[in-house]
Order: sequence, then C-alpha cells, then structure tokens
Amino acid sequence: MHDFLITPFSFGFMQRGLLSAVLLSLSGGLLGCILVMRRLALMGDALSHSLLPGIGLAWLLFGPSTLALFFGALVAGLLTALGSAFLSRLTRVKEDAAFGSLFIIFFGAGVALVSKLPTGLSLSHVLFGNILVVGPSDLAVSAVVSSTTVMVFVVFYRSILLETFDPIFYRAVGGHSGLVHFGFLALTVLNLVAALQTMGVVLALGLFLLPAVSAYLWCDHFARMLVLSVVFGVVSSVAGILLSYHAGLASGAAIVLCLGVVFFASALFSPTYGLVGRCVRGLRERQAVRKHPG
Amino acid sequence: MSLSPVSSEPHSILRFSHLSVRYGRTLALDDITLDIPCGSSTAILGPNGAGKSTLLRAILGWQPSATGEIRLGDAHPQHLLPRLAYLPQRHMIDWDFPITVRAVVEQGRYPSLRLFRQLGPDDRTRVDRALQELGLTDLAGRQIRMLSGGQQQRVFLARALAQGADIFLLDEPFAGLDLFATEELTHILRAWEAQGRTVLAVVHELELARRGFTRGVLLDTALVAAGPIAEVLSPANIDRAYRRGRCAHDNPLHLASTTEFPR
Repeated sequence: MHDFLITPFSFGFMQRGLLSAVLLSLSGGLLGCILVMRRLALMGDALSHSLLPGIGLAWLLFGPSTLALFFGALVAGLLTALGSAFLSRLTRVKEDAAFGSLFIIFFGAGVALVSKLPTGLSLSHVLFGNILVVGPSDLAVSAVVSSTTVMVFVVFYRSILLETFDPIFYRAVGGHSGLVHFGFLALTVLNLVAALQTMGVVLALGLFLLPAVSAYLWCDHFARMLVLSVVFGVVSSVAGILLSYHAGLASGAAIVLCLGVVFFASALFSPTYGLVGRCVRGLRERQAVRKHPG
Repeated sequence: MSLSPVSSEPHSILRFSHLSVRYGRTLALDDITLDIPCGSSTAILGPNGAGKSTLLRAILGWQPSATGEIRLGDAHPQHLLPRLAYLPQRHMIDWDFPITVRAVVEQGRYPSLRLFRQLGPDDRTRVDRALQELGLTDLAGRQIRMLSGGQQQRVFLARALAQGADIFLLDEPFAGLDLFATEELTHILRAWEAQGRTVLAVVHELELARRGFTRGVLLDTALVAAGPIAEVLSPANIDRAYRRGRCAHDNPLHLASTTEFPR
C-alpha cells in the first residue's frame, strides 16, 4: 500500500507533477462550471487546440522558456477568439462555424510546426501531456494562475453567478457584463496554457470540463457545484498521476480516464439526475398506477 | 397655513421627450414624447418591430438615444437603476441551472451589496417578505425547473420586489403562460398598481391589455396613441398601428392573387 501510494512521490518530478495537477484542478474545476453552464464546453475545447501553433512558434523563437511558451499560447488563443468574432461579424459565416474553421487551421499549423521543429519538443508530449517536463518554473506559473483564478472567484462570486445565470438582469442592475465575460475568457486561456505541461493541448480541457459536468449531475446549488467540481478534480488528479506512474501512461490521459470514471458514475448513480434513479422512479410510478388505476 | 389641494393629476414618473433610437440606419423609435404616470400599469402594444422592447431597453440605457431623452423623476434613469426592475423573457433563462427559488430571489439584493459583504439580516427579511408576497415561501428550497410556468414567473417578480424596485419593466411576461397563470399574473400586476407600483409591460394580446392594464401605449415606430387603455385601443388607433391605415381587404402579400373564382 505504502509502495503504491507514497513511494512514487519520493521523486522530485512526481511531486512537481502532482502539485501542478492539483493546483490546476482547483482553478479548472471552478472555470469548468461556468463553461458548462454557459454552454461554452465545445468552444473551450476548440480554444485549447488552437494554442498549439503559439507554443510551437514560441519554442522556435525563444527555446524552452516557460514565459515565452505562455505568451505564445496566449496570443494564439486570443487570435482565434478575436479572429472568429471578426469573421462572423464581417461575413455571413456564423460564429460557431468561424470558430470551428479557425481552430482547426491553427491546430493543423501547430502540428506542422511542432513536428518539423529541430528541437526535442515531442509532439506527443505537447498533445497529451508529460509530467516529467514540469520544472520548478512551470510549477510557479501554475501556482500563480491557480491562486489568481480562485481569488477572482471568491471576490467576484456574485457577479460571476449573475452573469452566468441571467446576464440581462446583471446588465439591468448596472453590472459590467462585457468585463466579466472577457475576464472569464482570459482566465480560461491562462489556465489552459498552465495546464499544457501535465495535460497536453488535446486533453487540457478535460480537467476543466469533466469535474464540472459530474458535479452538475449532483447539485442544485451553484456554490455547492463549484466546490464539488473542485473536489472531483483534485481527487481524480491524484488518482490519475498514480495511474500514470504505475501503468506508464501519459499523465493527461491517465487523469482524464479517472475523471471519466467519476463522470460515468455520476451519470448513472446520481440520485436525482442519474439514469438509474430515473429508471427506478419510472418503474415505481408505473407500479403505483397499476395498483391504483384511475 | 394653507393646504394645497391634492392634485387629481398624478405626477409622471417617466418622461420621454422627443426620443428617437436607431439601429444602424433603421429607425426603431421615432420622436416619442410620452409621460408615464406614477403608480400606473401600462401595456406597451404594437405590431412586430414597432419598437416595444426597444422602449424598455432605452429606459435601461442599453440603447443610446439618437435624439431626445428619458427622465425618471428629475434624473437620468442610469442614476436610479435600483428603482428599476427588468424582467427577462422566460426563454432567456436556463431552467436547469443549479439554483433554488430562494437563491434567485436573493439575487435581487446583490446589486446593493458591497464587495466582501454577505447578505445581512435586513436583506434576509426583504427576501422573506418578497417570497411571502408572491406565495413562494413553501417552494423556497426547490430547484427552479420543479415549478409551474406561473410559479417560475412569480420567482422573477419576487426577485424584482427584493431588489426594492418600484418601477417594473416586463418584456412579454405573458408569453408561454397558460390560462390560469395568465389570470394570476394579471391579478398580481393589478394589486401592484393598487399599491402604487409602476408597471410597464410589453403585451401582444389586445384583449389581455384591455383587461389587465389601466393605460396603454400604442407604438408603430412612432407613437400612435397613449392614455387610458380603452381610448388607446379604439378601432381607429388599432387600424393605424397594425394595418398602417390599409383597408383590411387590401392584400399586401397577394396571397390569393392567382385564384380564379367561379362566376
């Protein structure tokens, strides 16, 4: 037991990987709830794919500097978001189609760039995550991004709730709707970039989305959904890192698998919104009708 | 000391003077001059695209006016946002949102809370009172999907009350309500008017407007008529607003132009 749970974390890289994953599941769980409730899940996924060329270019120009990678990804993400907004305003192409087209072009360009790079940046590491490369500076970035996100959520909880639930009401009482929306997008990009090392471009959004959808199946209070989402994220990150160590899996894939288990368990067994509960209630109703017809 | 006689003319709470609003090149509201008396219930009527919702949005300051201005009492409405409550159309709300009736009504208190402040005892009392007035006390712990359409509408009315507003802007509040819920809402709005609250609602059904509101504003981009509902909804006015003076037998869409009738 000790060998299974504790020994892996005697290695420095495992400690850093674990810490980074846990930190990002704190903020990712929170952001994921907003993504889910505002129906931006697919947009977030597209956004994370589009970060790839930014990372590739930054690597090409500045080498493996965390800060450069960070800004490269940020610029790529912003270009996709703003570019699709412009495209949909100026042509007849609708926002979702514009976003879908742009992100796939960006992703293609990214794959081309990364696979042709002379440096040792491995495509599979960028796509699916590798905790071996989480250095002390990456950990610092994760810590800053995560604590900023958590702080923003604590301080502006009410504004975030109003903007998510009823943006029209929020505007009507004098809230700055655009500011909250932009802040949310910026935080999402920041967290995606910070999660790249452990989760990879393709799987990073899993750390945001899956705990949030799972929590959504259990809760009727927004605050509780946020907390539960974070709990799901943290537990799955720890389990996933262990799984990746023992099974030799990419860390991103291992964490997403653990989150997947949580999600399916929630979808099946959540008392109010799960499938099993629903079937049981349906059966009971039918029996009641049979016993007391009319 | 002399007592001044109480004026029988109620003073106006909202004054529109020569208000015009444009969306790009299209004129949405054309030179509206209009007074809304304090404590009245007013139905805003008119054909599609007449600028009914635009009028509400202009009051909230979401539509910059091309010309003219709106005054709330002596101030611009933007300075008195807490007095205004806006009710969104029902389809704008995600009814599966993880939130209870009470939590929605509490949102009415959010605008008056400072950062880092929690709801105080005074806020709680206001929320309790709003829930009670609209008969939602027993439903306070329910998720909002688990309510009937009329109850759902009442939740948002309660949030407006908890906000402490006295002017209520309702965008198509009757859309999607069944007969019973419609009656109930009419009743509530009547009671609010009796309590001196000012209600402005976008209404589509003329019959409903006649029964539920004392005053009416008939729009067709420009103001067609305003005043007591019976006068506003005279056949001549309705004809002007909805048919733009065309005869009912005119056939603007040429629907049956190829039909040959047997002689």
